[in-house]
Amino acid sequence: MKEAFRSIACLVPQVFRALFRGPQTVAFPFGRANIPEGYRGRLRIHADQCRGCGLCVRDCPASALELQREGRGRFRLLYYPHRCAYCGQCELSCTSEALYHDNSFVGGVASLDELVTVMVEREG
Amino acid sequence: MSKLVVPIGPQHPLLKEPLSFRLTVEGERVTESAMRLGYVHRGIERLCQTRTYVQNIHLLERVCGICSHVHTTTYCRAVEALAGLELPPRALHLRALLCELERIHSHMLWLGVLARNVGFDTIFMYAWRDREIVLDIMEDLSGGRVSHAVNVIGGVRIDLDDAHRDTILQQLDLLEDQVEWLLGVVEHERTLQARTRGIGVLTLADVRRYCVVGPVARASGLDIDLRRDDRQAPYDQMHYEVPVHDAGDVWARTLVRVKEAVESVHLCRQILDTLPAGAVSVRAPRRIPAGEAVTRSEAPRGEVIYYVRSNGSDHPARVKIRTPTLTSLITLPDQLRDVAMADVSVVLSGVDLCIACADR
Amino acid sequence: MMALYRLLVFPGFGFLFVCAMLFDWIDRRVIARTQERVGPPWYQPLADFIKLLAKEDVRTEGVHEVAAAGLPIVSLASVLTAALYVPVGGVAAASYEGDLIVVLFLLSVPALAYFLAGWISPGVYSVIGGHRSLLQYFSYEVPFMMALASPAVLAGSWRIMSIVAYQGQATWLALIQPLGFLLAIVGLIGKLKRDPLDIPKAKSEVVGGPLTEYSGRKMAIWHLAMDMQTVVGIFLLVNLFLGESRFLEALPAFPVFGAKALAILLLLSMASALYARLRIDQLANLGWRVLAPLALLQVMATLWVGG
Repeated sequence: MKEAFRSIACLVPQVFRALFRGPQTVAFPFGRANIPEGYRGRLRIHADQCRGCGLCVRDCPASALELQREGRGRFRLLYYPHRCAYCGQCELSCTSEALYHDNSFVGGVASLDELVTVMVEREG
Repeated sequence: MSKLVVPIGPQHPLLKEPLSFRLTVEGERVTESAMRLGYVHRGIERLCQTRTYVQNIHLLERVCGICSHVHTTTYCRAVEALAGLELPPRALHLRALLCELERIHSHMLWLGVLARNVGFDTIFMYAWRDREIVLDIMEDLSGGRVSHAVNVIGGVRIDLDDAHRDTILQQLDLLEDQVEWLLGVVEHERTLQARTRGIGVLTLADVRRYCVVGPVARASGLDIDLRRDDRQAPYDQMHYEVPVHDAGDVWARTLVRVKEAVESVHLCRQILDTLPAGAVSVRAPRRIPAGEAVTRSEAPRGEVIYYVRSNGSDHPARVKIRTPTLTSLITLPDQLRDVAMADVSVVLSGVDLCIACADR
Repeated sequence: MMALYRLLVFPGFGFLFVCAMLFDWIDRRVIARTQERVGPPWYQPLADFIKLLAKEDVRTEGVHEVAAAGLPIVSLASVLTAALYVPVGGVAAASYEGDLIVVLFLLSVPALAYFLAGWISPGVYSVIGGHRSLLQYFSYEVPFMMALASPAVLAGSWRIMSIVAYQGQATWLALIQPLGFLLAIVGLIGKLKRDPLDIPKAKSEVVGGPLTEYSGRKMAIWHLAMDMQTVVGIFLLVNLFLGESRFLEALPAFPVFGAKALAILLLLSMASALYARLRIDQLANLGWRVLAPLALLQVMATLWVGG
C-alpha cells in the first residue's frame, strides 16, 4: 500500500519545495552571471612580452593566429576570434607567457572585419 | 489498416543529432525500419593525419560534446604508449576525476532527454538542474563547461589546491543527494516505469551477438566494465560497484545509468581524498617514435577504442576511432521491430545515441 | 440590449477571452515554477496570439481549403455556444432544463474537429495524431459523461443552475461524490489534451499531431479554441462539483467562483507536472478497465441513494 502511494506521489515533496524555493535559473543578461576567473574566454596578450617566435601559430588547431613577418624584427600577430576554438593551446605553447585567456565573452559584431584583432605590432 | 511511412529525422524533436529513420507504421505498430547515418560525418580521422599530435588533442575533443574528455584521454594514452612515457600518479588521478565527472554529466543529460521524450518535463528540468552542479565543478577545474582541454601529451595541465578540493567535495555532497533522489524516482515512479518497462528488450544472447558495450550491455546482464576489467590506474586502487541488471529493457538501462552516476560520485570523492602529490605532467617529445598503439577506455556510453600509428614524424600516420554508439545503433532495427509508435521515442532515447561519436 | 451584453462581454466572448489568456498564463507559470524556472510574463499568451495572427498562413497541398479553415472556426463556435449556458458566479447568458446535456454535446465538437483536422491533412504526423485523438476521445468521454451525469441525477435536474442551487442546500458535490469529482478531473485532462494525456500532440512522437501543418491565423483560432475550452471545462466542473455553499453565502459570488476555478486549474497544472505521458493503449486500458467501471459505480450509487 505504501509502495503504491509512493509510486504516484514520488515527485510531490520536491515539487512543493521547488514552488517555495523560487527559480534556480540565472536571468542573464538581465541578471548577473557568475563566470569563474579561470573560464577560457577571449584571448589576450601582454604585447611587450611577445617575441614573435610563432610557436602559438604552429600549435593552434584552428588556424586562429597568424604571424606576418615583414623583415628584421618587424612582425604583426593577428587573431581571428571566429576561428578560435578557445582551447588554450597557444597559452600553453607560448614560451614567453604572453598569451592568456580572460573570462570575457566575444560579443556579436556586424561585420567579420571588426572581429580580426591585431594583437601585436612590432616595428623593429 | 493502411501502411504509412513515418520519417524520424534527420530533424525531429526527439533527436539531439541528425539521424534518419524511415519507419513503416500500420495503425500504431511499427513493422519495418530503415536507418541512415552519416549526417554529421566530418572526416575527423582524415583530418587527424594533416595535423600534429598536439593539435589533434583539440580536434579529437570535438568528436563528441559529451564524452570529449574520454576521447582525448584515450588518444593521449595511445600517444604516450608510443612515446614510452610514464605518467605521474597525480596526472592519472586528475584525468580520472574528469572522466567520472563527465560520466555523471552524460548520464544526467541523458536522463533529462529520456524524460522529455516520454513527456516528463519535470524530471528533465530537475536532472538538468543537477547537471549544472557538475558543469560548474568542471568549469572551475578546467575553464570550460563542455570542452575542458585538460589533457596534454604527458599528463594534464590543471592543478588543484586544498581549498579548491574542499569546495568540490562540498558540491559533490549536494550532487549526491540530488542523484540519489533521482534514483529513487526511477525506481519507484509509476508512470515512468509504465512507459519504459518491457520496451526495447535485448537478451544476453542478443548483446553478445551484436557486441554491445556499455550501460546497454550491463542492463542485459553482461558484466563488463573496462575500468575494472583492464585494471586501469587509478581505478585499481578504488572501491566501486559496477551496476548490472538483467531485464534488458529501457527501464533497466535507466537504472544502470543512474546507479553508475551515484557510483561515479563516490569515485570522485575517493579520487579527491587519495590525490597524490607530485607533478601533473611530463615533457613529451614533438616527434613520436614509429609504432602502433591501441588503447581502450570506458566512456559514458561504453568502450571507446583508439588505434594510433605513427611514422616517426610529428603528424600521426593513422588514427582510427571505434565509438560505443556504433554497437548500440546496430541493435536498433531489432529493437524497433513490432513496437508501438509511442515507444519509438523511448527506444531511441534508451540506447543513448551520440551520433557525432558514431559518424566522426 | 442585455442579451447582447451577456453574449459579447460578460459572461460571453470578452470575458472568456480574458479568462483564456489568464488561465493559460497561470498554468504555464505554475508549471514553470514547479520545474524551478521563471515562466512567462503575464502578457505572454496575448503576445503569442497576436504573433500567430501576424504569421504567414501556410497552405498545405492536398488539403481542402474550406475544410481546413472551417474546422478551427467550428471548434471556437461550439465552445463559445457551450459557454452561454455555463454560469459564472451565478450569472449565465441563458439557462433552461436540459442545458447540461447541450453543453456536454457541444464540448465534444472540438474533439471531433481536431480529429478531422488530422484526417484531411496529407502529412503522416497529422494522420497518426488524428487516429490517436479519436481513440483518446473514446477512452475518456464515457467516464467523463457518466461522472458529470451523477450530479444531475442527485440534484434531480438537468439544468446547471439547479444543480448549483442544490449544492447550496446540501453541500459541495465534490464532498458527496468524491469519486465522480476525481473522474471528472481525469476526464477533463483527457478532453483538454493536457499532459499526461497529450498523446495526440506528443511533440517527441508525432511532432504536432493533427495541427502539424497549421500556422498563422488558423492556428491562432485553434489555440484560442483550446484555451477557451479549458476555461469552459473548468467553469463547468466548478458549477457541478463546487457550487454554492451555505458557509460562503456572505461572500461576494464572483471572487469565490474565481477562487474555486483557480483551485481546479492548480490541480490540473500539478497533474501536468507530476506525471509522464501515457501511451495510447495504456490510456485505452485505463479508460475502459478502470475509469468506466468506477463511473458506473458512481452513477449506480447515486441512483441507489438518491432514489
